[in-house]
Amino acid sequence: MKEISIVFLLNGKKTSITCMPNRTLLDVLRTDLGLTGAKDACGGEGECGACTVILDGKPVNSCMIFIGQVEGTQITTIEGLMEKGEYHQLQKAFVEAGAVQCGFCTPGAILTAKALLDENPHPTDQEIRDGLSGNLCRCTGYNKMIDAVHLAEEGSLDD
Amino acid sequence: MQEFNYHRPVTITELKENLSQPGARILAGGTDIVPKMRQGKFSAPILVDTSGVAAMHFVEDQGSQIVLGALTTHQEAADSALLKNVNPALVTAAESIGCQQTRCRGTLGGNIANASPAADTIPPLLIYDATLLLQSMTGERRILLEKFLLGPGEIDLKDGEFIHSISFKPLSRAWGSAFIKVGKRSGMAISVVNTAVAVELNQEGKISDIRIALGSVAPTVIRCREVEDSLLGKEPEPELMKEIHAACQKDISPITDVRSTEEYRDHAAEVIIHRALECAVEQAKGRMR
Repeated sequence: MKEISIVFLLNGKKTSITCMPNRTLLDVLRTDLGLTGAKDACGGEGECGACTVILDGKPVNSCMIFIGQVEGTQITTIEGLMEKGEYHQLQKAFVEAGAVQCGFCTPGAILTAKALLDENPHPTDQEIRDGLSGNLCRCTGYNKMIDAVHLAEEGSLDD
Repeated sequence: MQEFNYHRPVTITELKENLSQPGARILAGGTDIVPKMRQGKFSAPILVDTSGVAAMHFVEDQGSQIVLGALTTHQEAADSALLKNVNPALVTAAESIGCQQTRCRGTLGGNIANASPAADTIPPLLIYDATLLLQSMTGERRILLEKFLLGPGEIDLKDGEFIHSISFKPLSRAWGSAFIKVGKRSGMAISVVNTAVAVELNQEGKISDIRIALGSVAPTVIRCREVEDSLLGKEPEPELMKEIHAACQKDISPITDVRSTEEYRDHAAEVIIHRALECAVEQAKGRMR
């Protein structure tokens, strides 16, 4: 097995990495780049969504992507959402609505919600449910996440 | 994770060259292959990643044919205004796959090459008699999707070949098509049984063309051709609809497995064929007015 070198934009910063090709994006983010926001919960089967990151505007499971596949892409992880020391609307809304309990699914759920709101700024309850259907949560019962997405969408947390 | 050497072509010529190496296998979205490699269920000394090959990423109306690049993702198919018009069953099927995260990565070519009897995008392509364009270093050939599927996970793809694109002819006149699946739940579930149906009605409201495909009830997704032939020229009455699903049962051989039982699949197939037909006939009648 030969090492590969790839370059991509990670949270707005040009990032170069040289590693074996059988590493997943999730593994490289957590182990090599120290970004532990994306989680491994289902053991790399793409079932739970805890490892969700945004790749070229789309939510994807980083456990199902070999590192070579991110060459030339733009990736946003939960660590990249904060701007100028301020938490993102969705991060504030998840806290405000009580949509964070154990926290394990939270980064993935927030990033999926961000990709949804970026494409559809005023989703219906059903659109939020469909959008978040790939993010398993065993604590909140999901309703609070739906409240949180609406809260972020309204921008009522600006004040 | 298993070891492999990795190639990332960006042109089709490079892709052909990379795939001509002994043992080279193709990597599309990775939603099947990455977990399988982790579980030791798939291995290859060389993986050729197609994520850089932009030329196989398109949905085009080429006049008499609709052509889909093999790297079209399920989400792109679900969002395609063109496909909503010409093959609504395919749009419904693509929308029903996995979740956003898997739909944004998984591709039509990958779903076909994976050749699961439960694949959701295959029935809506089978009812349109879809053809695949296969390419390799030595040339290219076209093959009917129905002939390409040989068994569960088995396809007529030679070493060095890859699926370049999928094409089908839109229906004309008064037609309708529908896709219905049954799974354990709506998010992330793999089909226990699925069906796609297309109907064309003539000016007298009789069936001038009918196509029925069923998934997860045989070693591959199947077309029920005998039934189709027997229904030509008939009126789509409720009584006839009942005959259709009774007759379709002759073509199927459902099994009991981790996802469901033979008995349940048998019954569910009847119910969803009936519903899909009603839906397709309604659309077709709407186009007659």
